[in-house]
Amino acid sequence: MENTATVDQAATAQQQISLSVLKKRWLKFKSIKRGYYAFIILITAYIISFFLPLLINNRALVVKYEGDIWFPVFQGYIAGSTFGEDVPGEANYRELKEKFRSENGNWVIMPPYPYGPFEDVTTAGNKMYEEPSGVHWFGTDNTGRDVFSRLMYGFNISLSFAILFTIASYLIGVSIGAMMGYFGGKFDLITQRFIEIWATLPFLFVMIIISSIVRPNFFLLIVILTLFGWIGMTYYMRAEFYREKTKDYVAAAISMGQSHKKIIFKHILPNSLVPIITYFPFAVIGGIGSLVGLDFLGFGLPPPTPSWGQMVSVGLQNMVKWWMVLAPLGALFTTLLLIVFIGEAIREAFDPRVYSRLR
Amino acid sequence: MNEQEKVAMSDNQTLVDVQNLKVHFPLFGGVLSRRVATVKAVDGISFSIKRKETIGLVGESGCGKTTVGRALVAILRQLYPEVEIGGSITYQFKGKSVDFARLKPRELRKYRSKVQMIFQDPFASLNPRMTVAQIISEPLQLHTKMNDSEMKDRVGWLLDKVGLQPEQAYRYPHEFSGGQRQRVGIARALATNPDLIICDEPVSALDVSIQAQVINLMMDLQEEFGMSYLFIAHDLSVVEHIADRVAVMYLGNIVEFGESSTVYYDPRHPYSKALLSAVPRPDPHRQRESRIVLEGDVPTPLNKPSGCGFRTRCPLAEKSCAEDIPALEEHAPEHWVACPIVKEKAAG
Repeated sequence: MENTATVDQAATAQQQISLSVLKKRWLKFKSIKRGYYAFIILITAYIISFFLPLLINNRALVVKYEGDIWFPVFQGYIAGSTFGEDVPGEANYRELKEKFRSENGNWVIMPPYPYGPFEDVTTAGNKMYEEPSGVHWFGTDNTGRDVFSRLMYGFNISLSFAILFTIASYLIGVSIGAMMGYFGGKFDLITQRFIEIWATLPFLFVMIIISSIVRPNFFLLIVILTLFGWIGMTYYMRAEFYREKTKDYVAAAISMGQSHKKIIFKHILPNSLVPIITYFPFAVIGGIGSLVGLDFLGFGLPPPTPSWGQMVSVGLQNMVKWWMVLAPLGALFTTLLLIVFIGEAIREAFDPRVYSRLR
Repeated sequence: MNEQEKVAMSDNQTLVDVQNLKVHFPLFGGVLSRRVATVKAVDGISFSIKRKETIGLVGESGCGKTTVGRALVAILRQLYPEVEIGGSITYQFKGKSVDFARLKPRELRKYRSKVQMIFQDPFASLNPRMTVAQIISEPLQLHTKMNDSEMKDRVGWLLDKVGLQPEQAYRYPHEFSGGQRQRVGIARALATNPDLIICDEPVSALDVSIQAQVINLMMDLQEEFGMSYLFIAHDLSVVEHIADRVAVMYLGNIVEFGESSTVYYDPRHPYSKALLSAVPRPDPHRQRESRIVLEGDVPTPLNKPSGCGFRTRCPLAEKSCAEDIPALEEHAPEHWVACPIVKEKAAG
């Protein structure tokens, strides 16, 4: 009996050993605490940032007025007169809340932080350049908008932008680089020459010219940046594919009649993932940096968008108002630091040498 | 003999007939990528493989053995798009003759299952990101219409045939030893019931003790399934053990071809003689023969000597050797040698 038990145990132990290389690397990544916690924090913050309209907003979550229930967050614009308010345009829910406090049956539930990113709070008295306080955590800016609120919305925009940009440029860069390395020959030669010419285009001037013709929006900006950003990955993928295609498992796949598409994506690509995954976090950092830079120069997202670059630029014009400089720079620093931690941990996790971690 | 009988005969006898096979790799250089030279890896060889037969292909490194193997599985064009292939590689599949040297990749696809390959390096020939089950079932997915459970059974059965446990199917290649990996490679080659398996130095990367196991496994499998082998090796004693007939290659040409025992104990071509005198014989009572040591290096296939490729190092070389590439001639029954000088000497 004992014998069979040990055999069973050995069998299950052997089953557990059979982890794919990626699973092993994930386990190693998890064991690198700094990067793993940075990953958890960033992912949680990013997921939460999609629910920001419920948390940081000047529109009420729920309004009960004269027996009717309203959901302004989801319904959008509701005129103030609807709730018997004497204001032009949209209802002011914070004032409505104060007003309803004395009325029976009517009530308003506001988000936890009741100031929106576009909202000008100067209307209630001249409140420009208000210092940080319990009401406006990071103060208000030159047009009386709440800095904390804009910062939080800016986080979602920056990170979404950078991730979409990285994915888009990787999709193009990886497939073109893979084809160059796999097919080689004339295709490689011609594409390589094209890339060399394309890479010498001065990005900033092209960007300024495009911005002066069309007003870039979120997706147009991603497209334009991707046009210049896909090149870097092709170098790595081309080299990886050149190396991998000479290995016998590719010859074996060809000899059994596998198609080019399957050989590229099923056989070689999984063996060439290392540069893709290890550079991803750093490419995201690059994406955030590009957006901040363009916004800072005024060629990025159109003005009312809460973007960090625009906030830094406004802050620099009002250096004395320290909160307007420190808040966006601090947010930028924290975010980039977290991503660098993740990137370092991923790089360590992909390092085959076990005892060489710089910690 | 009428046509039908001929076809029936060849179906029983010859599996593949290679005629005047040439594989040339052009080299490009300069600013305009002009053709500057040609590597004549294989330069006009002819031989045939019968059904259930093992042909040994020996020669030193760089003589074109591997290229011959790769030409026979028709993967050269896809690996090196600029390659030039001449001659014919005619397979007889169920009375249907197919020329692999001429078929387009699309037309080739349905015959791919009939010719499979075992590779030299068991560490590079298995995709490290796929489990053994995925590796072995890949040819099945391409060439059969099995469902998942049939495929699973077939993979288990194949693993059992090559001496591995079916439970090991869900492991990754890096968890196996070199010999075990080579067995996985054999199972993959065996999966589609091929008629011919090209074995490209299948044991040279293995330990001597493991070599014997793998060789015996391959011989047992041939006994059971009746496929032919083209066994490429530089280890002559291994080839002697497994091969029925042996071809000796030098610089892209076959210099001697015949029954394994004849070539081994009665080599006629001066190169074969030198090559075989280098084989260590594990027999203490045997008188050590005088070892023939060749002078100089193998000429580069970029710039082959005119006429006989071996003449620059040949002890028998004469002026006439520089004129034509000598053809294989039958010096004894079923014993072909590409050297007119030897024939003259034997006659005179």
